[in-house]
Amino acid sequence: MRKLFAILSLLVIASMALAACGGGGGAPEPTQAPEATAAPEPGEVRANVLRINLGTYPDIIDPQVSSFVNEIAHLKLFYEGLTKFNEKLETVPGAAESWEYNDDATQLTFHLRDGLTYSDGSLLNAERFAYSIRRNINPATGGEYASITDEILNASEWRSGVASTCDSVVTAQEAYDTAKAASDAAPTDTALAEATAAAEALLGQAVCTEEEIAAIAESIGVKTSHADGSDCAVNADTGNAYDDADCNTLTLTLAKPAPYFHTIMGIWVAFPAKQESIEEGGKVWWTSPVFQIGNGPFIWTVGEPFVRGYFTPNANYWGDKPSYDLEYRYITDSAVAFQAYRNGELDIVASAAEDLPTIEADPNLTAQHMLYPGACTILIKFGLAAKYTAPDGSTYDSPFLDKKVREAFALAFDAESYSRDVNGGLSTPTWTWIPPGFPGYDPESPLRFDSEAARAALAESTYGGPEALNALGLKLTFGDTPRNRLHSEWLVANYKEHLGVEIALDPIETTTFTAITKDPATFPLLARQSWCADYPDQQNWLSVYWKSTTSFANRQGYENLEFDALIDQADVELDPAKRTDLYAQAQQLLLDDIPSAFGYNTANHYLVQPWVKGIVTTPQDSDWPGSFSVHTITIDTRMSAP
Amino acid sequence: MVAYFLRRILWLIPVLFTVSLITFIIMRSAPGGPWDTDAERRQVDAATLKSLEAYYGLDKPMWRQFVAYVFVDKNSVTREWVCGLICGNLGPSYRQHGRTVQSILFDPPPKESFWQSRFGYSLRLGLTALSFAVIFGIPIGVVAALKQNTLWDYIGLFIATSGISVPSFVLAIFLIIIFGSWLGWIDIIVDSWREIKYWIMPAMVLGFGTMAFTARLTRSAMLEVMRQDYVRTARAKGLAERVVVFRHMLKNALIPVVTILGPALAALVTGSFIIETMFSFPGMGGAYVQAIRQRDYSMIMGTTVIYALLVAVANLSVDLAYVLIDPRIRLEE
Amino acid sequence: MAVRNDNKVAELDVFRPGRSLGAEAWARLLRNKAAVAGLVIISMFAIMAIFAGLVAPENPLQINDGKRFLPPPFFKGSTNIQSDPKFLLGTDSLGRDVLSRVIYGSRVSMVVGFIPTLIILLLGTFIGMVSGYAGGRLDNVLMRLTDVIYAFPDLLFFIIVMVALRESFIGRLMNGLVLLFAALAIVNWVGVARLIRGQVLSLKQKEFVEAARCIGATDSRIMFRHILPNSLGPLIVSAAFTMPGLIITEAILGYLGVGLPPSTDPTDIFITSWGALMLDGQSAINAQPFLLLSPAICVALIVLAFTFLGDGLRDALDPRMRGTQ
Repeated sequence: MRKLFAILSLLVIASMALAACGGGGGAPEPTQAPEATAAPEPGEVRANVLRINLGTYPDIIDPQVSSFVNEIAHLKLFYEGLTKFNEKLETVPGAAESWEYNDDATQLTFHLRDGLTYSDGSLLNAERFAYSIRRNINPATGGEYASITDEILNASEWRSGVASTCDSVVTAQEAYDTAKAASDAAPTDTALAEATAAAEALLGQAVCTEEEIAAIAESIGVKTSHADGSDCAVNADTGNAYDDADCNTLTLTLAKPAPYFHTIMGIWVAFPAKQESIEEGGKVWWTSPVFQIGNGPFIWTVGEPFVRGYFTPNANYWGDKPSYDLEYRYITDSAVAFQAYRNGELDIVASAAEDLPTIEADPNLTAQHMLYPGACTILIKFGLAAKYTAPDGSTYDSPFLDKKVREAFALAFDAESYSRDVNGGLSTPTWTWIPPGFPGYDPESPLRFDSEAARAALAESTYGGPEALNALGLKLTFGDTPRNRLHSEWLVANYKEHLGVEIALDPIETTTFTAITKDPATFPLLARQSWCADYPDQQNWLSVYWKSTTSFANRQGYENLEFDALIDQADVELDPAKRTDLYAQAQQLLLDDIPSAFGYNTANHYLVQPWVKGIVTTPQDSDWPGSFSVHTITIDTRMSAP
Repeated sequence: MVAYFLRRILWLIPVLFTVSLITFIIMRSAPGGPWDTDAERRQVDAATLKSLEAYYGLDKPMWRQFVAYVFVDKNSVTREWVCGLICGNLGPSYRQHGRTVQSILFDPPPKESFWQSRFGYSLRLGLTALSFAVIFGIPIGVVAALKQNTLWDYIGLFIATSGISVPSFVLAIFLIIIFGSWLGWIDIIVDSWREIKYWIMPAMVLGFGTMAFTARLTRSAMLEVMRQDYVRTARAKGLAERVVVFRHMLKNALIPVVTILGPALAALVTGSFIIETMFSFPGMGGAYVQAIRQRDYSMIMGTTVIYALLVAVANLSVDLAYVLIDPRIRLEE
Repeated sequence: MAVRNDNKVAELDVFRPGRSLGAEAWARLLRNKAAVAGLVIISMFAIMAIFAGLVAPENPLQINDGKRFLPPPFFKGSTNIQSDPKFLLGTDSLGRDVLSRVIYGSRVSMVVGFIPTLIILLLGTFIGMVSGYAGGRLDNVLMRLTDVIYAFPDLLFFIIVMVALRESFIGRLMNGLVLLFAALAIVNWVGVARLIRGQVLSLKQKEFVEAARCIGATDSRIMFRHILPNSLGPLIVSAAFTMPGLIITEAILGYLGVGLPPSTDPTDIFITSWGALMLDGQSAINAQPFLLLSPAICVALIVLAFTFLGDGLRDALDPRMRGTQ
């Protein structure tokens, strides 16, 4: 009995001690963390801190590896690219004072500001940016956005390890050409066909040698220089040019004309993380604020994983400095975050559709609710390439290969009541591709909701009406989350009502859903997907998403060569007006072709406490409102809750 | 007896091996891979994918990947021999580039103690929840049994039942609304996990089910024991009620309770995903469920093996406790 | 107070093979008010589940545009939305009737509570008894098997099994229910087995077992007629706790995105579950608390009912209580 009690009481005492002090006797005293909260001054009711709930804690905070909104929300506070985006989503000077293209837009030259420094006072020159761009391309980094800088000369060759100039590739290519020619000459000869296939496989495996790859890496189109074009001075001790203050010019040579590339240099992949930090900190360098020395408006001072991130203004920032401290919190449950906001424990939280009726019923909350357009278009994609299985076991080609069926499904989609009833008004219906607020937005569309026209289109199709489609057993596939269920249940009801088509729900686990949508052979018949802007340019909406060679269009099985040709022309067009016009034509072509039913544009919706003033929003600040213009925000520390 | 337990400890090796083998097979038969994170974003392109797969060894045959995970293999990119599970290496995380699974789970932030690591947090929360369960569960069970079919019994039963009849995410949101919003007793946003007050709610929510189970098990075991001859004898001898209850009844009634403590702790330590989400708690339950969603293979394997080890050790200690507490049990062999 | 001792019961048992155990237990059960109340509640829910189509006032799948989050008529919530007497417990985020959905939800929850529990009890008891009674090598092998299964994190196992096999034949049987049952049963029988084994280990040293052995009772007879009835108490308590645990596990699996697929086909038997409803309700707690409260109260009620019934059964089935009040 005593033993039993001893065990139990030991357990109780030990656990209490552990929970309380965070590690009983032998644990080393935690060192004093940097000041994590600015206390209110006398006469003030609140501290000068902007407390934002960001949701999920990031997996990785590394400029050349990160890709999620929440990760980038951290990076863009303490780093800044060569360019940046203003409140109208125009590309404006960031660390670079100016930039220019050569005549055919194959060379882009940035001129850095004078006297740029990192937050620790150390020099920031063009060599730092060159390092970051190289690091983004370097296959050893393995970032998900590595391909976004593929326009740079030799970048994709370095990443893939395959260049047409390498010996092995050349040899394999020659072997393949010979075999192919022989086989073409005698098409019936199976031995020759086999030889061709073998040569083709060989070509597929042909990679450059390490020496060749090293040479390619050296030759990528990234070069730094003094303003007059002379080389930057390499310090003999360190072996780099990071301390050459005059090294302020960065020249990017592009493999093809890319007049939009200065915009890409404003996103996170070109943020100048310090090479010394990355090397000294080792593989986990990004976990510690100590190594995240940046050039942005804030300094990362405290990083408590899953609890808080704390940021103070960077006195060495070249531009307008923020007047407040900033704190990120990571509460993923929207109901909890909403309660905390109502308690006045948070200043900015995203509002959930479920909380909307409560917000509308409370005049204070209504006044605090910010609703403005977002950066995503949600669309119902039609699978075109895959084979689908009917209930009787037979396979059939996608009915959406018939344009009239696509038209019927696009017209029967009641986008307005979708936004109203499913999203509670937290989105805006759309019938076009590029969302409002982005360059290239064009409200002109032939696809407005029209139930009767939809039925008529279906009647005109080769299927003649809903019965033939119902016999096929159509399915709507989605990643199974409570929210997706609501959306999908509504969609199915919508098509039943307006087209008479019965669609079965096919929920699958979210990662499995991603996996099947990545393979053209398994792409679902109907899938609700979305695309959000990486950077504000038509190229990011049209070329990256709908060109038949891109993965997105390719997976769905969408191909329109006329569209591709227009886009190719637009991508290299230097005259902005002409470029805009070409993209506009391409978008209309896309809408006429109806590869998807366009559903709605997301809206950004946040609750913001009344003492937070001066927020300027853009469609793309889907992390928190005002994140693109942090310097305009102020906090009224004398204001108490209404 | 020492030999018996030594042999049991050695048994852990095949158990862990089997667990990791089964996990590996089921895990790899699930569709999707580590780079299928989100259908709606730019995806890893073929070239990057190839170099990533080479680095993580995913281009090798399945059996070789398992051997590499458990034993040793040469990394085809770095050309280094890497020792696996048998050296305590849980492998590199797929999602958190550059970090190993053991560093994610066990390394505290710089200059902090082990208890600040994700595993440390989970362990502390599990222990706190378990003490909550024991401190309240056993007395409730004892009182309910001694006052069987009275109001006390029913109140105890009601508390115990409400603990298991509501899923933790429902209980958590109710508590947050009641104590955080209505009464305003606690902050909803945790300022620092160094302050004990923030542990109360998560530990309560996490431990409530175990408390209910403990209370019910204690009650039923007490009722069982109360009718035993030796209790009657003790009473007949004229022993004080206190002595009868504590020395004769409780001692025997607690045996089934002790058997669940070890597994309960293991379950509390890792089964806290929902609580971690609701209270933004930096434990390892979140890491684990997230890893499944992200197909972070080494993270899945790593957390499973750690959990398996935890449970196996817990079960072993149950058996040890059996021997120590119950003199009737003799270890055969 | 009863004056029989254990030996005598065992003796009686041998000569008068369990004739009255069931009948007497039933009579004792009926004298226990709480247990009867539990039984009534469970029967009511069972009837509701079976005849959901007749009981439910509305079509649980009917989406009512513009009627999202209606509060119940008797409740003034934190919203300005007017209630509609047609919807007794209000509506959900798509304007569907909460009461009807709760009624239909009882089907999945009842089935998920009952069937796997049955499998778990049968499998767990059998293996636990054999292992504890036989001891030695067989015990060792079975316990190592339970170690392996026990060591598995439940959630990982559920998620991975549901993910990997969802599109397979077994995953499609009964809209995924069969797979869910199997996954729940495989993980949970171990707990019962260990509990029973612990009971057997302590019971088999008891005098009445030795007595039975002395008079030549076979092993299986000792196991199932002497030890099993004496282990019923903890077993029934454990069953009473397994059932709500399973209902809640189903809810959590839905929360993680691997629950039962939803249905929009009114002819389906299993349309939604209380777990799924609670998930919807949890995020909408401010707008329409009854979306969370109604299924939560139902779960609590049925768990309470099972507990009372379990207690009643425990007392009624206890051989030492025979002939007592």
